[in-house]
Amino acid sequence: MERFPLKSSTSKMATTYQSVYKKGAINTNGRGVVTPGEDDMVDITPGLQQAAATSPTTPTNHGTFQLYEHSGRNSNASTNSYIAQYFNTSTGDAIIFSGMQGDTDDIPGIGQYDDFHTIDWQRDIARDRMRHRYIVKKRQDSLWDLIKGAHDAWSGWVCVLLVGVCTGVVAGVIDIGASWMTDLKFGICSQAFWFNREQCCWSSDETTFDQGNCSQWLTWPQVFGESREGAGAYIISYLFYIVWALLFAALSASLVRMFAPYACGSGIPEIKTILSGFIIRGYLGKWTLIVKVVGLILSVSSGLSLGKEGPMVHIASCLGNILSYLFPKYGRNEAKKREILSAAAAAGVSVAFGAPIGGVLFSLEEVSYYFPLKTLWRSFFCALIAAFILRSINPFGNEHSVLFFVEYNKPWIFFELIPFVGLGIIGGCIATIFIKANIYWCRYRKYSKLGQYPVTEVLVVTLVTAVIAYPNPYTRMNTSQLIYLLFNQCGISNSDPLCDYNRNFTDVNSAIEKAAAGPGVYKAIWLLFLALVLKLVMTIFTFGIKVPCGLFIPSLALGAIAGRIVGIGVEQLAYNYPKIWLFSGECSTGDDCITPGLYAMVGAAAVLGGVTRMTVSLVVIMFELTGGVRYIVPLMAAAMASKWVGDALGRQGIYDAHIALNGYPFLDSKDEFQHTSLAADVMQPKRNETLAVITQDSMTVDDVETLLKETEHNGYPVVVSKESQYLVGFVLRRDLNLAIANARRTMEGITGQSVVVFAGMVSPPAGPPPYLPLNRILDMAPITVTDQTPMETVVDMFRKLGLRQTLVTHNGRLLGVITKKDVLRHVKQMDNEDPNSVLFN
Amino acid sequence: MFYKCVILTFVFTCILFASGQSYEDKRCMCVCPSPAAVLNNTAGSDRKLYIGNVPPNKCNCDGVILPRVGEIIKGREQEFCPRCECKYESRNTTIIKVVVIIVIWVIMLLVVYMGFLICLDPLINKRAKASYQEHTNEDDESTISGPSQQLGARGNVLNRVTHQQDKWKRQVREQRRNIYDRHTMLN
Repeated sequence: MERFPLKSSTSKMATTYQSVYKKGAINTNGRGVVTPGEDDMVDITPGLQQAAATSPTTPTNHGTFQLYEHSGRNSNASTNSYIAQYFNTSTGDAIIFSGMQGDTDDIPGIGQYDDFHTIDWQRDIARDRMRHRYIVKKRQDSLWDLIKGAHDAWSGWVCVLLVGVCTGVVAGVIDIGASWMTDLKFGICSQAFWFNREQCCWSSDETTFDQGNCSQWLTWPQVFGESREGAGAYIISYLFYIVWALLFAALSASLVRMFAPYACGSGIPEIKTILSGFIIRGYLGKWTLIVKVVGLILSVSSGLSLGKEGPMVHIASCLGNILSYLFPKYGRNEAKKREILSAAAAAGVSVAFGAPIGGVLFSLEEVSYYFPLKTLWRSFFCALIAAFILRSINPFGNEHSVLFFVEYNKPWIFFELIPFVGLGIIGGCIATIFIKANIYWCRYRKYSKLGQYPVTEVLVVTLVTAVIAYPNPYTRMNTSQLIYLLFNQCGISNSDPLCDYNRNFTDVNSAIEKAAAGPGVYKAIWLLFLALVLKLVMTIFTFGIKVPCGLFIPSLALGAIAGRIVGIGVEQLAYNYPKIWLFSGECSTGDDCITPGLYAMVGAAAVLGGVTRMTVSLVVIMFELTGGVRYIVPLMAAAMASKWVGDALGRQGIYDAHIALNGYPFLDSKDEFQHTSLAADVMQPKRNETLAVITQDSMTVDDVETLLKETEHNGYPVVVSKESQYLVGFVLRRDLNLAIANARRTMEGITGQSVVVFAGMVSPPAGPPPYLPLNRILDMAPITVTDQTPMETVVDMFRKLGLRQTLVTHNGRLLGVITKKDVLRHVKQMDNEDPNSVLFN
Repeated sequence: MFYKCVILTFVFTCILFASGQSYEDKRCMCVCPSPAAVLNNTAGSDRKLYIGNVPPNKCNCDGVILPRVGEIIKGREQEFCPRCECKYESRNTTIIKVVVIIVIWVIMLLVVYMGFLICLDPLINKRAKASYQEHTNEDDESTISGPSQQLGARGNVLNRVTHQQDKWKRQVREQRRNIYDRHTMLN
């Protein structure tokens, strides 16, 4: 998969232009010296080169070559001044990507995008380059400008530092709040209400191991004067559990509905879409952040089958977006902002799992679309800071940033790879069942009456979950605790029925030796099996309800249950037949042979891998969770098997499936385009329609406004004249609207009869209505293809260059336009899906 | 906004209160089988907890368990101690307290604001709408922008706040339409 679409493209472009330029220079001037300043020079204005190539009549041509000629002869230092001179003097024929900071007062709003539009990466990157150049130029003017330049240079690092700090703090708040509120369902700490059960019994010797209760911790029956045990107490506890769960879920759902509907769901499909270059206004805003944090605490506490890890990515991205506005370099440039968002997503996973490297890889593998090395390092730093901050807050009191951190140091034997791969296959099957059923249910919700009752649905799901979950101790407990229990090995401190082995306490070395399973283990297996079915069914119905909900934790739990059951099976096999060849004698001594906890871990990785189709990042996350490097191979085997099974049974992972369900305009860089269509088949306009164009210097303001009113395109090609259709450039509808409105407001004498001039005016027209120069909003470097270009190439260009549209020419004349929407519709059509399901404005 | 002031005041009061009461922030927790199970060789799954407040380097059998049960297991320490697991843990009670109280306050503020928006806001808007009937029509946009224009005379700051609030409400309404009515997103 191409990870550096823009990086490679720019360097490629630079070399191409350089060669073109060298040739031109040699042919015209016979000049061959290339100074080190050359590189900087060359990629500054690809537009100029292209302008020179496409419209040979414009006076730009001459100016360009003159500029290069100078720069060739002069030293690096003076290059800048030439650029400066160039931009100061020849505003008439240079493309200046607007939105530059500093003294140039621009038309407000240019360079931003409307809601539900795709961004043009090339244009934004070019804008940033111009801005950077401007700052470099100004740096020599004064000390203040030098400081401003330095601030600009480090602002990316400062921004990710702030994002990391804030993400760590917010994650700490969520962890502490959720663990307290989860225990509120069972009781309250009498002396200090802000403690959860474990903190309440922190320094109490008397904790009985059955329930972890102590005298300070009052269960609800005790609060109402009942005893701790007994039928009455059970009923009261049950009722309180349900009532609290309903209360939390109702609050969460209504807060989401009232203040920020965008806060519902996991957010990862949308973040993926946004990072691929889509604008969803308000999706990463302040209210979404607040409501997502509060709603997440509430919905996790309500005992629904959901996790906080996915939404953490969304929360981190919200923080990234909000903080990027402190730095205009990122806040005002959508393409640059996505670099911060990629780093923020890494920080989100970093705090969710306490796995900084896993977070970086998650951002790289799963969510990011454009991930240059620079972003990789920033993500690394951001993830590091976030993990450090969360670790200092120490929300769980276990010196780690996740509840289910376990430390493993047991060897595994070669034969075990077979059950591990088997777990991978089971995981893939569970994941496929989950994805198919969940997508079916979400589609049903989308198109049926069910979707009209979002809050009721949340309440019903919560009620059913709470009623079924309470009787089974494994579903009653917090899912993170369940995972911790399953990952753990049975030591002395573990008194769960799951560890009810017939062990002998008197033998000094017997603590961890394999032993015959006692009745408690068999009972636990039954309960776990019930928990597996229940969790699977409930998660299918839960993922997609209108509260903040992620699915990492439920899928980890599903896999851990399945893995633990398999692990106990293999362990008992090894205990009963320690001599068979399978174990190659390693189990005959009795010590350290099969660890069921390890199977739980591998199973968890398998299901999560099957659901999300992650591989590398998943394995890294899992081994950072367990601190055991020696389990990389088992985890890899399971993840791979699960991905294969998953890919064979169903094409997409859950996030891609949700993107497809919602019809987000996400051009997946994983799939290949396998059809033989040409650019001419896809482009607009189709046959018998005319292309709406603007001429460079002959239309009046009224003409342009009529065109804007009559057509709904988001951009218009600018041509030399309607007869010749020679291409000059491309102008966006939004920019055109803004520029005309701005000119009417600020320029004297602009009327409907004023001629709009984009380029090419040799002598300004005399007469009372002055002409309206719009060269500043004209993009003179639009990407063009010919009509015979295969769509495969075009799709590749859209993916790797991050284009918003490309122009189609034939014999050098403009023929049509292909937008990203056209490409997406075409892909859908070719895959026999409904092309109208693509969401655009 | 004055909401922020409310939040800040409460946070500060909470921190002031928090300094009053103190809890142990460090502990050494040891889990052992009950001494009876070891000494009498009876199979049993009873565990006992021993929690002590000792420095990390003393968080072991000698430091925590033997001072308490040394009498019972005298002479058999070598048998008993290997079966105990000791863990040193630390926490920060102040952070927990502040965070939980902040969370409660934020939830309460949001609920109160939600109640205000559901119950009182329609009344206020209706009155404003009734008095300026000629300016408004059935269109969503104008019912919202109508009152805000009228309230503009009350002062610059209030006007700006109202304007912001209206803008935000419009955005939320748009989001709600996308998600709950048209189901175009986040299904």
